[in-house]
Amino acid sequence: MAEALLLELGVALSVLAVAGSVARYFDQPVIPAYIAAGILVGPHAPTSVATISLQLVSESAVVETAAEVGIVLLLFFLGLEFDVGTLVRNRRRLSAVGGIDLAVNAAVGVALGVAFGFGPIGVLLVTGVVYISSSAIVTKALTDAGWLANPESEVILGTLVVEDLVIAVYLAVVAAVVGGGGTVGSALTTVVQSFVFLTALAGAAHFGTEYVDRVFGTEADELFVLRVVGTTVLVGGAALSVGASEAVAAFFVGTAFHGTDLVHRVESLVVPVRDVFAALFFFAVGLGTDLLVVADVWLLLAVAVVATTAAKLASGYASGRVYGLDERRSARVGLGLVARGEFSLIVATLAATSANPTIRTVVPAFAVGYVIAMSFVGSLSVQYGATLSESFKNWRRGRESL
Amino acid sequence: MVIYEADVPGVGKRYEVETGGGERAVVIVHHDGKRELFRRSDADADAEKLFEFTSEQARQVATSLEGTDFQPLDLEDVDVPLGGAVIEWTEVPEESPVVGETLGDVHIGKETGVTVAAIQRGDETIGSPGADTVLEAGDILVAIGSRSDQDALEALLEGGDGEAD
Repeated sequence: MAEALLLELGVALSVLAVAGSVARYFDQPVIPAYIAAGILVGPHAPTSVATISLQLVSESAVVETAAEVGIVLLLFFLGLEFDVGTLVRNRRRLSAVGGIDLAVNAAVGVALGVAFGFGPIGVLLVTGVVYISSSAIVTKALTDAGWLANPESEVILGTLVVEDLVIAVYLAVVAAVVGGGGTVGSALTTVVQSFVFLTALAGAAHFGTEYVDRVFGTEADELFVLRVVGTTVLVGGAALSVGASEAVAAFFVGTAFHGTDLVHRVESLVVPVRDVFAALFFFAVGLGTDLLVVADVWLLLAVAVVATTAAKLASGYASGRVYGLDERRSARVGLGLVARGEFSLIVATLAATSANPTIRTVVPAFAVGYVIAMSFVGSLSVQYGATLSESFKNWRRGRESL
Repeated sequence: MVIYEADVPGVGKRYEVETGGGERAVVIVHHDGKRELFRRSDADADAEKLFEFTSEQARQVATSLEGTDFQPLDLEDVDVPLGGAVIEWTEVPEESPVVGETLGDVHIGKETGVTVAAIQRGDETIGSPGADTVLEAGDILVAIGSRSDQDALEALLEGGDGEAD
């Protein structure tokens, strides 16, 4: 058995390596490439090519656990880079842009969910999937396009900071609600348990920061990585065992490291570890994806892609204006925020644990199709952002002069 | 001088330096050690990427900018020992009597004892100038000679009789 699993893991990592290289070569985001890799060699269609079986990797506990570690490490870094100081210093403008972003995009999400006949939990999940932009894809696209040195990046990254906070709260609530089973009573128990756990953890993270340097600082890189990853996964696992969100628990562990002298070391040593496990997470998403189910939700997908792209463009534009940017740069804020990715998929994995069979199959399939589309749309809208924002400005000018 | 510093989540740090006239130099230091240098010519302009450095290259460039490796010449106190002789950089003043004369006419070697190894004129350097080289105001003569020879040269250029005092 172990031999078979080792071979499967080998196939998984090799296919990821190829998929990632291809995506990089064409300057495209890696997330859809990793998902596609999972779909290709996974148990669902395509199952074979010219009679050679493509069902090379099964949905084993090994890949699933690695994927879980990927989620935990993604959220750990979100916490690590979560800057309360920035949030407090710019609270007025950031609450304005964060508020616009949340109101506009969540409203579109709710409308989509209701229009396509989802129940309350389904609506909540669809809203989560379409609301949150992808920090990974956005940051990479901004870096490649050189926008980080422009004023619009401040608004884009500021919006992401607020979204990080919203998604932490959202995951905490939704994990408890979805995981709580059918009845209101059991859901309530889980919500209470999970909030007691997370509040205690948030407090520990807040007061523990001053001890972090002493506890985690060690000469040996290997021991350092083990301590950081070990603690994060341990706390995440403990959270999951009491019904709390492992992702949010990892987020709080990350916040304990924020502002310590160890940040730089974490960034240089733990990022590769995170990226390998995150790749396996996207791969696992692909493994669990049945393209036939994705095809079934094509109408929802098409409407969602158009409506939520428009919503992000509008909310981003408004946010840019709040920051006093000109029309061209404000348009770029919208273009910069279009990409959806890892967090939408984390919401989807929550949906996959739901007791409701419709939610369990439809929401994850929708999320996968949606993220594949939106990661490309988002990444391309930054790559062609200079031209697009210029034409937008000229269009506005033209209309005003009429 | 104002330097703006900001954390860029997931990337590293950004520094912006105002260089006058609304122009800004933007430096982005990535967590992986990569450094990018941008120029933004004014508030409306897009940042234009000038260079990407590895951390090693960045350190060397920074050292050059600081001027610790290579100090620009200060004419007041250049002093290169060369056995008994020294090399000095001496400027031809505006109202010097030698302006318009050739090196041969002035008999610099005979009058002062120095050898003119080169003349720096603006951005160009005339190496081993011949006797027919015409001296201009603002020329910097790179001359080799003893300390008293150098003093004689300075006196000659300033309009003295070329004799050291």
